[in-house]
Amino acid sequence: MPDVSIYCQVHQPYRLRRFRVFDVGRGHDYFDDAANRSIVQRVAAKCYVPSSRLLADLIRRSDGGFRIALSLSGVLVEQLAAYAPEALDAFRELVATGGVELLGETYYHSLSALIDPEEFRAQVQLHARILEHEFGVRPQVFRNTELIYGNAVAPIIAAMGFRGVLVEGADRVLQWRSPNYVYASVTAPGLRLLPRNYRLSDDIAFRFAERSWREWPLTVDKYADWVAASDGDSVHLFIDYETLGEHQWEETGIFDFVRLLPEAFARRGIQTVHPSTLASRTPVGGLSYPTPTSWADLERDVSAWLGNGLQESAHRRLYRLAPAVRACRDTGLLEQWRRLTTSDHLYYMATKWAADGDVHTYFSPYDTPYDAFIAFMNVMQDLEQRVSAEVAEATEAGLDTEAELIGASTR
Amino acid sequence: MFGWEFPPYQAGGLATATLGLVKGLLQTGLQVTLVVPFPIDGRVLPELRLVSTAGLRVALRRVRVPSPLTPYGGVGEYAAGRAAAARRIPGTRGTTPYGVDLFHEIERFSDVAAEIAETEPHDVIDCHDWITYPAAQRAHEVSGRPLVAHIHATERDRSGAGENAEIRRREREGLLAADHIICNSLRMRRQVVESYKVDPARIHVVPWGLDDPSAAPDVPEPQPFPDDEPVVLFVGRVTRQKGPEYFIEMARRVADVVPHVRFVVVGTGDLLPQIIDRTVELGLAERVHFTGGVSGPDVDRAFRMATVCVMPSVSEPFGLVALESLRNGTPVIVARNAGVAEVVRNALRADFWDIERMADQVAGIIRYHELHRELRAHGLEEVTHPRFGLAEPARRTVDIYQRALVGAVRSH
Repeated sequence: MPDVSIYCQVHQPYRLRRFRVFDVGRGHDYFDDAANRSIVQRVAAKCYVPSSRLLADLIRRSDGGFRIALSLSGVLVEQLAAYAPEALDAFRELVATGGVELLGETYYHSLSALIDPEEFRAQVQLHARILEHEFGVRPQVFRNTELIYGNAVAPIIAAMGFRGVLVEGADRVLQWRSPNYVYASVTAPGLRLLPRNYRLSDDIAFRFAERSWREWPLTVDKYADWVAASDGDSVHLFIDYETLGEHQWEETGIFDFVRLLPEAFARRGIQTVHPSTLASRTPVGGLSYPTPTSWADLERDVSAWLGNGLQESAHRRLYRLAPAVRACRDTGLLEQWRRLTTSDHLYYMATKWAADGDVHTYFSPYDTPYDAFIAFMNVMQDLEQRVSAEVAEATEAGLDTEAELIGASTR
Repeated sequence: MFGWEFPPYQAGGLATATLGLVKGLLQTGLQVTLVVPFPIDGRVLPELRLVSTAGLRVALRRVRVPSPLTPYGGVGEYAAGRAAAARRIPGTRGTTPYGVDLFHEIERFSDVAAEIAETEPHDVIDCHDWITYPAAQRAHEVSGRPLVAHIHATERDRSGAGENAEIRRREREGLLAADHIICNSLRMRRQVVESYKVDPARIHVVPWGLDDPSAAPDVPEPQPFPDDEPVVLFVGRVTRQKGPEYFIEMARRVADVVPHVRFVVVGTGDLLPQIIDRTVELGLAERVHFTGGVSGPDVDRAFRMATVCVMPSVSEPFGLVALESLRNGTPVIVARNAGVAEVVRNALRADFWDIERMADQVAGIIRYHELHRELRAHGLEEVTHPRFGLAEPARRTVDIYQRALVGAVRSH
């Protein structure tokens, strides 16, 4: 009988307002506070508050037998504090039950791991700090943005003190192997890898309310039987937290499903365990991820964010500014730049129109990916000009010159 | 089939769409007899070779009815149109061989239609917009064959608040008399249901197709402007319906942020003098070029010299211009309420009045080459898909004819 590890990602980006080319050089508020507030409040009411209360209740009733893991992005925690404090309280209470393990990630839910190790480390440290401050915990297991992981990033994660990483159980990596075991990284052997069982995860995340699915309706007993019948040592179920009540509305019966799940597992002798517990187990072997994988789209690679020319050029332009913006004495500029590193901005620019395109459209505040690109590039234009001005000022004042960095970054 | 516009007598996309439909129908093996209300003119024939492919000549019968009817513009424009039509016809210079007003002309057209319905063998009657409805209704009465009515634009689309009550009445009667109605967008379907209380079950949405979806040539053509001068294009009648005034206001905003930009207005119409005045007022006289009416290959050429095409139509039942732009590899910004916005994914959308937004989109496409590249590549790929060809709309139209025939058999 395998154990089960349940993990949920909790994240909301700072969406951009419709920043027009005419706004460049004029106003510097890039973010749509009104939209962000209303979205966060809506999701808080539909998902964060009810789900957190439900899970806290289930953990208490199970006497600590039911366990889950969560990762909350830094930008989510900030927005909850500003717009939906009752939801932040609900998360605190949930964590206080002792049944929840919080995972580490980048504060800004960024793609920095793929391009800028220095920025990556800085954002992971910022995230650790906010977890300490808000929840009084230090994460031991890492979950990078959207489960993005590759061999190259493993040593960096290990060097920051993490013992394990959640990864996608992509077929091209696993091949004949099962995702239901603990593996080791081939580039950082001390680092344990927990591959997601995407079939069982997506049964809940995507197919739960799909009436054309032949397994619909998905009952708790049927699902628990599938898990019980799985091979391996531990089944890793990773989904978006927003699946509960937001992607899958309450009317679909998703909350009832969750409510009955702990008992259905318990009846079959299935134990729920934390990722850090699994990270202490002996791996069955090494797994190599030569190119980065993620949990997104059918490709399960990074093409959801870097799959076309728009995304690549926007991403390049963003990180080209990194050295200069970090060198600025104006921390407000750095903060705004970092909010732009949030992966969602690139996700909105995806031009895949197949099944996954609809998923992209569902999450996007824009009419088209092209509008997303225009707004982002206009903001970048404004930010670059401000960083240049800042550096010019610093140079004139005879302070440390960053002129070379700027020369390299804003061309 | 009772038509109105047919190349070369065309003022807008409707002629192209009708021609496309007829061509597509002929390719399914259907026989089409097209009755058109324009005067016979010998000079027309060389250009008609466009339609007269070998197979087409056999199957397509054109029955011409002498009449200067024009689909666009209402009763008011008729007087001017009548004189112009007379001038076009050899031997009729300065004379008016036809009736005195538009509705009288429609009566004449209907009388001829009744005759034709008696003599021409047919199974289904089809017609296009209000001006042909009375003729088709008469034919329907005479032959008893099922009546299918296309509606491409309503009187409200053409005239906004200044609708003509008589035209609306005819529109309504034609639509209520039809066994089935074909329109080109969901928006049009909604409008017909709301305005005329037509049973939605009888209304079918068949988007227009393109005759030759892959028009973009591989060989670069000589361009009128230097390479570093981006061109923003407007193609359409210069009338209230097409929103040329929004295009000009947008041009001012774009010129504020994009150096060396040029604007080209292809088309003519009653708003042209006003638009030219406004262009001068805005200090854009040297930046905006007016080509007047342009046809056929020159329209495609206009698309290909443009960096981006903008279609700020106040009312646009479909908007074939968007597809034509895309097939020439030119990114397009379409009015959000245009029918084509329902079917095309790789086009930017804006409200026709949202000048700032359109200007921002235009500036984005000009400034960011990646954006232009992606829009071009995805747009071409999309519009060359068979669903935008002629076969698909023809197939769906034939399905509707067949339903009409089955219904007719049942009711006997």
